[in-house]
Amino acid sequence: MFGRPHLYTSYEQETKILPTWTQKVFMAFFVMMLFLLPFDIPVLTDDIPGFGWVPIIGDGIPGFRFLGDENYMRSTTLVLILTIAALGLNLLSGVAGQVSLGHAFFMGVGACAGVYLGGEANSQVWGHGLPIWIWLPGAGVTAALVGVVVSPVAVRLRGLYLAIVTLGLVFVGIHFGNTSWGRKIAGPPSLGREFQDVQLKFWKEDNALIDFSDDGRWLWFDVTDAEKYYLLFLVLTIGFVLLAKNIMRTRTGRALQAIRDRDIAAEIMGVPEFRYKVIAFAVSSFFAGVAGALYAALSSQLLSDAFNLFLSVEFIAIILIGGAGTNAGTVIGTFFVVMIPRFVEDLTEWLAAAEGGVAGAVADVVLTGGGDFGLVASGIESQGWPMSVYDWNVVLFGLLIIVFLIFEPLGIYGIWVRIRNYWKRWPFSY
Amino acid sequence: MNRLKWLLAVMVALAMLAAACGDDDTTDADTPDPDPDPGGATEDPPEDLPDPEPDPPEDPPEDLPDPEPTTPAIATDVGVDDDTIRIGFLSDLSGIFAGLTVPITDGSQAYFERLNDQGGIAGRMIEVVVRDTGYDVPTHQTHYDELAGSGPDGVVMIGTSTGSPHTASIREDLIDDELAGIVLSWNSSWASAGSANVFEWGTNYCVEAMNGVSWLADAHDAKSIAIVTFPGDYGEDGAIGAKLAAEALGLEVVYDGQGSVVPGADQTPVITNIVESGADIVWVTTNASSLAELIGGAYGEGFTGQWGGNGPSFSSLLLPTAVGPILTANYTHFAPYASIGSGDSAGMADVLSLMREYAPDKQYLSVYINSWLMGEIARQGLEKAAENGDLTRAGVTAALQSIEVDFQGLAANANYAGDDPNDQIARGTWVYAVDHETYNGDATMLDDEGEGLTMIGENYVSEAAANWEYEPCFAI
Repeated sequence: MFGRPHLYTSYEQETKILPTWTQKVFMAFFVMMLFLLPFDIPVLTDDIPGFGWVPIIGDGIPGFRFLGDENYMRSTTLVLILTIAALGLNLLSGVAGQVSLGHAFFMGVGACAGVYLGGEANSQVWGHGLPIWIWLPGAGVTAALVGVVVSPVAVRLRGLYLAIVTLGLVFVGIHFGNTSWGRKIAGPPSLGREFQDVQLKFWKEDNALIDFSDDGRWLWFDVTDAEKYYLLFLVLTIGFVLLAKNIMRTRTGRALQAIRDRDIAAEIMGVPEFRYKVIAFAVSSFFAGVAGALYAALSSQLLSDAFNLFLSVEFIAIILIGGAGTNAGTVIGTFFVVMIPRFVEDLTEWLAAAEGGVAGAVADVVLTGGGDFGLVASGIESQGWPMSVYDWNVVLFGLLIIVFLIFEPLGIYGIWVRIRNYWKRWPFSY
Repeated sequence: MNRLKWLLAVMVALAMLAAACGDDDTTDADTPDPDPDPGGATEDPPEDLPDPEPDPPEDPPEDLPDPEPTTPAIATDVGVDDDTIRIGFLSDLSGIFAGLTVPITDGSQAYFERLNDQGGIAGRMIEVVVRDTGYDVPTHQTHYDELAGSGPDGVVMIGTSTGSPHTASIREDLIDDELAGIVLSWNSSWASAGSANVFEWGTNYCVEAMNGVSWLADAHDAKSIAIVTFPGDYGEDGAIGAKLAAEALGLEVVYDGQGSVVPGADQTPVITNIVESGADIVWVTTNASSLAELIGGAYGEGFTGQWGGNGPSFSSLLLPTAVGPILTANYTHFAPYASIGSGDSAGMADVLSLMREYAPDKQYLSVYINSWLMGEIARQGLEKAAENGDLTRAGVTAALQSIEVDFQGLAANANYAGDDPNDQIARGTWVYAVDHETYNGDATMLDDEGEGLTMIGENYVSEAAANWEYEPCFAI
């Protein structure tokens, strides 16, 4: 009556974005929660009585309401922006199988194009002061064009070699930042340039139609600039998730997967390898370019050396931890990689403040506060063992990549799929 | 069929709502909530009304310090309650400057620990809230938002904000939030109008370069100079200062390498240019590893001039290496404050007693001077604010903007009063000869020497620096 899972009677049915009603309802609920996240709505956001002291879980009914606090708002917004970029890399590396360490470079190209088109010129820097509906797509298109120029390399090289070539792009980008042209666009290295405010205008008029960079009032809510950014980027991110999903489930996506699984076989079957690799690079760079411009807009400071190798590696980590080749995995992976350091720091602080009870007992074991026993130094000192929580965060990052590669190559998404399948077959799961 | 699905959807939604609401009753009933406070979220103090009692009618003349702490009438808003004052630190604990900022933050904690042991400020204990920025602008801003929040987690002032672009990215927010931020960066822009709530201290790179070049030209009777620096806010601030001094002194700039030293790149062309220029003196604004590469390379090719550089260009860690003897013979170190153990100022005695009592095992390093200086700014600002009866964020900022912070001879005083940046900026530089033989990497705070530095100039102000009309050398 409700249909059976995985019993598809048509191709159209199998490729639906949300095949079952349960998924649709949950997704609608989830998206609604995302939109309401920044606002104080009594029923949804009050602490659960009696559990208010429990971090995260006690904070309001959906459990993730705290992400909309002013403390967390910027990190949450950063998750959205990096999700867009990670979706692009997922299309290139996860779906089409082209490993790229140059993703940060394409973000940088987008950010530079964005500030060149949208920023105001002065004696130090160039700019055209164009409105957002030009500079944001312009950032993506410029990055996509650069991606197209780079893509022929991918036809000649595979795997590790491609990774090394794309790695070179990052250094080309950093070097460009040091040249006189680079300085005119992105400002001096290690200092950067102010990125324009995000405002919706028809053209260069003084009063913006919608000003995202100032506090204001929308409908029944007072919204701060941070919340406006969040909502704007949420809409954009949802758009990009849908775009990525649609690319994956159409002809292009199937061609890319065929190339990933065996490029020569794909070519023999009539999939033009060159064309699809170009498309993969162009689309992936478009995502990166838009995300790069938004990234600089969020921090209102464009810093060319921020788009460095570490950022590229972070994206690889996002894809690996989340689960390569899946959109849901990419979103989860981004959330995980951006938020884990915050959570670890907050948890340590909370533990350090805890006295007595279970939390106190855990604190005694984990922290060094009471004596020599413990893994995490409660001070900030970094020399030697035990390490401070900040050093642990850096180590944790590497550890997670290793652990996921060895034990769960499908990433967090893979874990979820296994849990889901277990319960789906319950009580006949093995 | 479709209608059934729709019905199911509605039921699921209702079920979720019910479950969500149901939670309230059940959990309320069976958990007595043994510990009301560890999460801190249950009982918020009322934040909107700072003080029921308006205090302006009686405005005491500023010159008369009130000997008795007037505790009852202190207004507060965020970060201050009856027992504590919260100060936020945006420190780089895991990024590229962690080697520098971790000991500085350690030192700050020692400073406030001692202050608390001495009774705190206005009867309140200082609570140090440290956040790791990783020397990354977005992370810096994220943690700034956290500290600048208006809830119980907020702070009353930012005790350290690490880095130039990072602090530049929050300077407008500081003004909007009426927060004071003490900056750990010596760019020459901080005294300009857009950075009203950024409190700089110590001589900036630009003025330091003027003093350094003047000192070297005087000491070695120089006629020509080569300038080699990093690109960006630090390197080019120093380069511009060096050029201003060269112009004032009539030195010929035989090699202008402003921004020529890219960290990590091959420095051979720069070294060749230095050697071919045949300059009498070389001014560097780089880091220690680049300095070692440059000076080692130049002397390897037979260069004979004398060298000097902005403070961060030199590190005592170079002294036990192969370039130690070259540095000893040819390098003069300049810094915006006295190095640890040098001179006999009251400030130095205080730093030494602080570190020896609260962190005796730490390595014998000058970085702790930074902690003490920034601690002094915070303490003197907060005490002034308490004296004014206004420990709100705006009150602390206003208090800082009205005082000259006395560093007791450890650095040029930080004057935040008045509107003219020419009166505000510090112009004194401390000058050191370096010696690889007195360096001892194992020396702790309990020793008397070990950094390999000998002070040869204290609070030196060159003519070029004294006559300089303030404008940012390399604007942020």
